[in-house]
Amino acid sequence: MGAYILGRMGSAIVVMVMVGIFVFLLLRLAPGDPAAMIAGRSATEEMIAGIREQLGLNDPLPVQFIQWVRAMLGGDFGTSIFAGRPVLELLSQRLEPTLSLTILTTIVAVTVGVSFGVLAAWQTGGFVDRLLAVFSALGYSVPVFVIGYFLIYFFAIRTHWLPVQGYKPIGSGLGLWFVHLILPTVALGLGFIAFIARVTRASMLEVLSEDYMRTAAAKGASSYAMLVHHALKNAGVPILTVIGISFAYMIGGVVLTETVFNIPGIGRLVVDAINNRDYPIIQSVLVLTSGLYVLINLTVDLAYTLIDPRIRY
Amino acid sequence: MTISRRDLFKAGFAVGAALSIPSIPRAQTATAAARTARMVKSSDLRVFDPILTATNITADHGAAIYDTLFSLDSKFMPQPQMVSNWSVSNDKKAYTFELREGLGWHDGTPVTAADCVASIRRWGQVHPGGQLIMALASDISERDDKTFTISLKEPLGLLIDLLADLTPPCLFMMREKDANRPATEQVTANIGSGPFKFNEALLKPGASITFDRNEKYVPRKEPSDGLAGGKVVHVDRVIWDVIPDQQTAMAALQAGEVDYFETPPVELYSSVESDPDLGLQVLDKPGWDVVLRMNCLQPPFNNVKARQAMLHLIDQEAFMRVMYADPKYINTVTSIFGKDTPVSNDENTGWYKKGGDPEKARQLFKEAAYAGEKVVILDPTDWREADNASQLLAAALRKIGVNAELAPMDWGGVSTRRAKKDSVENGGWSLFITSESNYSLGNPLATPLLLANGDDAWYGWPKNDEYEALRADWANVSTLQERKELARRMQSIWWDFVGDVRLGKYVSPIAHRKTLTGLIGMPQIVPMWNMQKVTA
Repeated sequence: MGAYILGRMGSAIVVMVMVGIFVFLLLRLAPGDPAAMIAGRSATEEMIAGIREQLGLNDPLPVQFIQWVRAMLGGDFGTSIFAGRPVLELLSQRLEPTLSLTILTTIVAVTVGVSFGVLAAWQTGGFVDRLLAVFSALGYSVPVFVIGYFLIYFFAIRTHWLPVQGYKPIGSGLGLWFVHLILPTVALGLGFIAFIARVTRASMLEVLSEDYMRTAAAKGASSYAMLVHHALKNAGVPILTVIGISFAYMIGGVVLTETVFNIPGIGRLVVDAINNRDYPIIQSVLVLTSGLYVLINLTVDLAYTLIDPRIRY
Repeated sequence: MTISRRDLFKAGFAVGAALSIPSIPRAQTATAAARTARMVKSSDLRVFDPILTATNITADHGAAIYDTLFSLDSKFMPQPQMVSNWSVSNDKKAYTFELREGLGWHDGTPVTAADCVASIRRWGQVHPGGQLIMALASDISERDDKTFTISLKEPLGLLIDLLADLTPPCLFMMREKDANRPATEQVTANIGSGPFKFNEALLKPGASITFDRNEKYVPRKEPSDGLAGGKVVHVDRVIWDVIPDQQTAMAALQAGEVDYFETPPVELYSSVESDPDLGLQVLDKPGWDVVLRMNCLQPPFNNVKARQAMLHLIDQEAFMRVMYADPKYINTVTSIFGKDTPVSNDENTGWYKKGGDPEKARQLFKEAAYAGEKVVILDPTDWREADNASQLLAAALRKIGVNAELAPMDWGGVSTRRAKKDSVENGGWSLFITSESNYSLGNPLATPLLLANGDDAWYGWPKNDEYEALRADWANVSTLQERKELARRMQSIWWDFVGDVRLGKYVSPIAHRKTLTGLIGMPQIVPMWNMQKVTA
C-alpha cells in the first residue's frame, strides 16, 4: 500500500511538471501582452514598451522559464503582474469560497443523489423512478446560468428571501455564510444530483439482481437492510468513482456558478487572469489544480479498499 | 450509538442559534449601510497606480485617494484645487504655484512642494501633454515647502489646461518617495491626500475595494462644480463590488444590494426605467467616439484612396445601431475633435457627412489599384459592441468586392497584434475598432489618436507632415478663437489624408437607486465626493 501511494504521489509530481511546461509555453505562444493590458486601451506603444521592460517580459523565454521553475521549487509562486501581490496570498483568499461551494454542493449532491438513485432502483418504473428520469433530463440539459438566473429572480428579487450575490466567509457567521451559498449550491448541485442519482440507480439495479440479494430476501431481511447493508455497499465502487470525478470536475468547472452568483473563487481568479494574461496566476493555479486532480483520484482509489475488501494495492 | 430526543433537541437548538447569528448585528449594520455606498464599476480595479495605466477605473481610484493641483469645472475650465495661488512671469515662461493650507497625506505627513515636483516629473514621462511640458521645461523645482516653480524655455499658453487635463493618466499628486519611481513601475502604496482613504485591510482583490472618508481632508470653500470646488464627502464608506456578470449586477441593483451600476447593458435599460426605485443617468455627457484605425503602412490602406473609400463606405447610423441600439444614446460625429467640443467644426466634411455610399467606395478602391489583397479586421469578441461592428464592417467590405477577413480574438490579442507593423501575411493587420473619449479628442496634445507622425503615431501610424506642423502650433496659441481656427485647418488636412475613420458617438448611462443622489457628471472620471444616500 505504502509503495502504491508513493508511486501515485510521484506520478502527481510528473503530471504537475508536464502541466507546468505546457502551460508556460502555451501562454507565451498565445497572443496577448500583459503590459498592453496594464497600460489600457488608449496607451501608446512607448508606455507599453516601458512596462514590458519593467516586468521582465523582454527576457528570453528560457530565462523566464528557469526563473519561474527556480522560484516554484523554492515555494515562491510569484507575484501577480496586475495586483502586485503574491500569488499565494491571492490563492488563499479565493480558496475558501471555492471549497465552501464545492464541498457543500458535494454533500448535498451525494446525499440527495444517492438517496434518489436507491429509491428509484428499489421501485423501478414507479413514481420516484419516473421523477428521476424527468429530473435527470432537466439536470443534464439546463445550463447552470439559466438555473442560476431563475433562482435569483424568484428567491432574491421577487421574494427577497435570499441574497442575489456575493460570498461571506465562515468567520463572519455561519448563518451569513450559509444563506449566501444556498442558491449557488442548488444551481451547481442539480446537474451533479442527476448524475450521481443515475449512476446509483444503474449500479443498484445490477446488484439487486444478484443471487445473494434473493438469498437475503429469502432469509427475511428488511427492505432497509437489503438496500443499505447489502445492495448499496456492493454498488458503492462505481458511485464512489463518480463522486470523485464530480468533485474534481466541480473544482475546475465551478467558474460559471461563481460568475452568476458573484463568488470570488478560484474559477473567477483564473478567468480574470487569462483575460489579463496574468501569467504567474494562471501557471500556479493550473499546476496546483493538476496536482489536486491526481490527489482526488488517489483518495478515491484508496477509498475503494474501505468498501470492497477484495481490492488491494 | 443511540440518539435520544434530548440530544436531538440540543442539536436543533445549536443549529438554530448558529443560523440566527446574522440577525444579531442587523440593527447596527442597517445604520452603517445608510452611510455606505456600494458601486459596481465598469471593471475590476487591477492596477492601482493611476500613472502606470490609462484605464478609467484606475483614474477613478486615483480621483478618490489622490488630489490634483488643478481641476476642471463643469465648463471644462481649470480651477485651482491643491493650489491656493499661482502666477506667471511677464515673459510667460515662469510659473509659480503655492499650495493651500491643510493638505496632508493619509499617513499623517504634510504635502510638500517636493512631492508635487516629483509627481509632475513622473506624469511627464507618460502623458502626451506632460511630455510636452517636460520637453519645454528648463527647470521644475521647489522653492520652499509650499511653493514650486515650472520654468519654460518658451511660453506654453496651455500649461494650466494640461496640468488639469482629464485624459488618463491624469496628474495626481503622490508622495515624493512614490513619485520617484519610474512611471513604468507600479506604485502600490495607495497613500494619497485626497478625500477618500484606501482601506487596505478590507481589500479583496477580484471581490471588493473599500474606500473610507478621509476625516482629515480639508475641502476648498467653493461649492462643488464639476471636479472643481470643495470635495465634500457625505458618506462614510464607498465599496466597489466587483460583479463581472451584468445580469447579476442588475439583479443586485434591483434587490438593493448595490446602489450604482456603471455599465448596464442596453437591453436592460427598459428594466431600469420601469422600476420606480431605479434611474438612468448620463454622467459622461460628451461620451465616447468609436474610431476605425487603418494600417497606413500596408496595402491596401497605405494608399490614401483606399482610406478615403472607407470614409464613403461607413454609414455611421448603421454602425451605431448595431453597437448601441438605443437611439437616445447614439449620434454621428464628423469632426476629428469629437462632437460639441470647443474646437469641433465641420471643415472638409461635406462629402463625408453622408457616408454609406458603397458605389463610391468601390470606385475609390479601384482607383487605389486594389488587387484583392487580404484585409484583416482584428475582431475583439470579448467587447460585444466592437465585435458587432467588426462583423458589419466585414460584410460591408465584402459587398464591394474587398477580400475582408475577420480575425476573432479577445482584446488582449488585439492589443498585442495591433502593434505589429508587418503585412497581414506576416501576422499584421489592416483594420481594428477602438474608442476614445469625446472630451479627450478636443485636445490634440492629450490624446495619441490625433497624432500623424508616422512610426511614432498611434496604431495605424498615419503620417502627414503638414498636419503635424499645425498640431505643434497648438501649444503656442493662447485664445480659444485661435485654437478653433487652427482646428479647422488641421481637420481639413486630416480628412484629406484620412488618419482614421469615425463610426459614431455614444453615451452610456449609469443605473442607480434613486436613494443615491449628488452624482457628479464629468467625462473620464466618476468622482465619489458630493454623492449621498438619502433614506427611501
